[in-house]
Amino acid sequence: MTAAISILALLAGAYLVAVLEGWVSMGRMSITGPLASGAAMLGRESFVPKRRDRVFFEVAPPLLLVSALLAAAVLPLSPGLIVADLATGALFVNAALAYVMVALLMAGWAPNGAYAMVGGFRFLGQLVAYSMLIVMPITAVAMRAESLVTTEVVESQAALPNAIYQPIGFVLFLLAGMAVCFLPPFDLPTAPGELAGGVEAEYTGWRLAVFRLARLVLVVTVAAAVSVFYLGGWLGPVFPPWAWSAAKTLAVAALMLLAGRHVPRLRETHVLEWGWKVGIPLALLNIFVVGVMILVVG
Amino acid sequence: MTAFQQYALLLAMAAATIGFVFCLYVIGKYLAAPRKEEGEDTPAASGNLPEEAAWARYHPRYYGYALLFLAFDMEMAYMYPWAVVYKELGLVALLDMGVFLSILFLGLLYGWSQGALRRQ
Repeated sequence: MTAAISILALLAGAYLVAVLEGWVSMGRMSITGPLASGAAMLGRESFVPKRRDRVFFEVAPPLLLVSALLAAAVLPLSPGLIVADLATGALFVNAALAYVMVALLMAGWAPNGAYAMVGGFRFLGQLVAYSMLIVMPITAVAMRAESLVTTEVVESQAALPNAIYQPIGFVLFLLAGMAVCFLPPFDLPTAPGELAGGVEAEYTGWRLAVFRLARLVLVVTVAAAVSVFYLGGWLGPVFPPWAWSAAKTLAVAALMLLAGRHVPRLRETHVLEWGWKVGIPLALLNIFVVGVMILVVG
Repeated sequence: MTAFQQYALLLAMAAATIGFVFCLYVIGKYLAAPRKEEGEDTPAASGNLPEEAAWARYHPRYYGYALLFLAFDMEMAYMYPWAVVYKELGLVALLDMGVFLSILFLGLLYGWSQGALRRQ
C-alpha cells in the first residue's frame, strides 16, 4: 500500500516536472501538454536501426527508469511513507544512480550511430566528473546522522537542516544532481542543437516515451534526494509531513530546471576540470570541516 | 519488514517497471501502424548514409581522470562505514581518515602535476 502511494506520488511529481519543463523551455504553461506529447509518442512508429546491439538497445530505456525508481524507493515522503527503509539507504541511492550512466552508455552504444555514441561516451566522462560529488557530500551527511538510513538522516536535521550545517556539500550535491539528470548546462549526452539528440537520437515512438518518462522520474528522484539529505525532508511546522516533502522536492526540481537555463552548455573537458580541480578538493574540505564541527559543536 | 522482504519488494518494483514498459510496447504496437520504407532503419548522420560502423571510432580523452576515478571510487567504499561510526570514535576516527585522505589527496595533486587532469 505504502509502495503504491509512493510510486503514484512520484509519477504525479514527474508529471508536474514535465509541465514545468515545458513551461520553462516553451515559454507557456500547458497542463495537458505532457499527456498529449506522450500519447503522440506512443502513436508514432518506433524505428530500430539496422545494425544495432539488440540487447543494449532494448534494455537502455527501461534500465534508466528502473534505476530512477529504485533510488526513489528508499527516499521517505513522510515518516511512514517509504517503500523500503533500507539499513543502507544512502548508499543504495548512490548505487541505483550509478546505473544512469550504464543506461545512457548503452543507449549511446547500441544503435551504431555516430551522434548517439558521442553522446554516450560524453556522459561517461560526465560521470567521472560528477560521481565523487554525489558520494562525498552524502558521506558528510551520514557522519552527522550516524546512520545510512534515510529516515534517520531526516531526523538528524531537526535542529538545523544540512543545507545550513554544510553549505559546501549542499551546493556540490545540487550541481552534481543536475549533472546526473543531464539538465542544462550539463546536458552533454543529449545536447539539443548539437548532436541531433545524442543518446536519444535513434530512439523514437514508445521507446522514446519510456526514455523521456525515465528522465522526468530521475529529476524528481534527485530533487527528493536533495530535500532528504539537505533540506530536512518532511520536517516543518504547521503543514503535514508529506506536504513539506512534496513542496521541498518540487521547489528543488524547479530550481534545477531553471538554474542552468541561461548558462551555455559546458564542454566535457571543462566539466571534468571543474569537477576534479575544484569540486573534489572542496568535497574533501567539506568532510573535514563537518568532522571538526561534529567533534567541537556536537 | 526484514531486510530480505525489503529487497524482495525492490526486486518486485523493478519487475513491475519492466511489465509497465512492456504494456507501453503493446499500446505503441497497436496505436502505430507503420509502413515499411527503405532507409528508415539507418542511424541519423546529417542526411548522409553512414559508410562504416560507428563503433570503435571514439577516443575517450578523459582516461587520465578515469584511472584516478577508480582509486577514489574504491576509497569511498571505505568511507561509508567510517562515516556511520564517526561520532562514536571521535578524534581517533578523524585522525585515521585524515591520514588516509591526505595520502589520497597527495595522489591527486601528483596526478595533476603529471598532467593526468587534462584532455589527453
